[in-house]
Amino acid sequence: MQRRDFFKKLGVVAAVTAVVPAVSFAADAKPISPNKMSFKTAVDAITGGKTPKTSKLVKLKVPEIAENGAVVPVTVEIDSPMTSDNYVKSIHILAGKNSNSRCLDVNLTPANGKAMLSTRIKLGGTQEVSALIELSTGEFLIASQSVKVTIGGCG
Amino acid sequence: MANKRKSLIKIKPKKYKDGEIVKVSFMVMHPMDTGMGKDKKTKKIIPAKYINSVKFNYNGQEITNMKVWESLSVNPVFTTYMKINGKGKLTVTYTDNTGEVHEKSKKIKPKG
Repeated sequence: MQRRDFFKKLGVVAAVTAVVPAVSFAADAKPISPNKMSFKTAVDAITGGKTPKTSKLVKLKVPEIAENGAVVPVTVEIDSPMTSDNYVKSIHILAGKNSNSRCLDVNLTPANGKAMLSTRIKLGGTQEVSALIELSTGEFLIASQSVKVTIGGCG
Repeated sequence: MANKRKSLIKIKPKKYKDGEIVKVSFMVMHPMDTGMGKDKKTKKIIPAKYINSVKFNYNGQEITNMKVWESLSVNPVFTTYMKINGKGKLTVTYTDNTGEVHEKSKKIKPKG
């Protein structure tokens, strides 16, 4: 009888302990993505370990404040001749603090004519959005900008 | 399996000449569920269902391909540019993580 009660209490305590942190940090709780990947891991995976160069050639347009984190517009544009010997090979959009920081990987060809990508992404909270570019020369460029998110968009 | 999702390919401007670089958008009604969201009524986790790949094929040539992750917004839109290079067809194909496949085509008819 006593033992049964003890284990019952233990079970309740354990359940409460498990639940309480989730509830108290609900506002900041980050659900874990099945494709969980940190920003640094994502950048290394894309560049093969090379450090991308911060460049103003990469024009990243994101709102300073996103009222709705579920639909944040992102536009990336790079001035490039897009010829077979000099073109933007890929544009990668990353969200630094999302469980999976990778949002989109776009592989372009000279047939695109201009290097640009526009889409809408989900942001779990205030964070930096980055545009990581690979040029046909093998060089990697990056531009980042912070987006303040009032209502997170990942839940 | 026939896919009945509504999708659209938009080209801007609508009238273009050969050699012109036009804006092309592909949009599709897709939930883009991350696998982290909960159904508000049942409280159960909504399984992940998101587009994971989009390819643009123009007259038999793949001009753009995209790897898409679950953090793209619901009913995603993808806009880029393409250079008009003759009459023909632009076909956009996507797949999602559950194996769903969808194809949408648009005729390319340059004037002049």
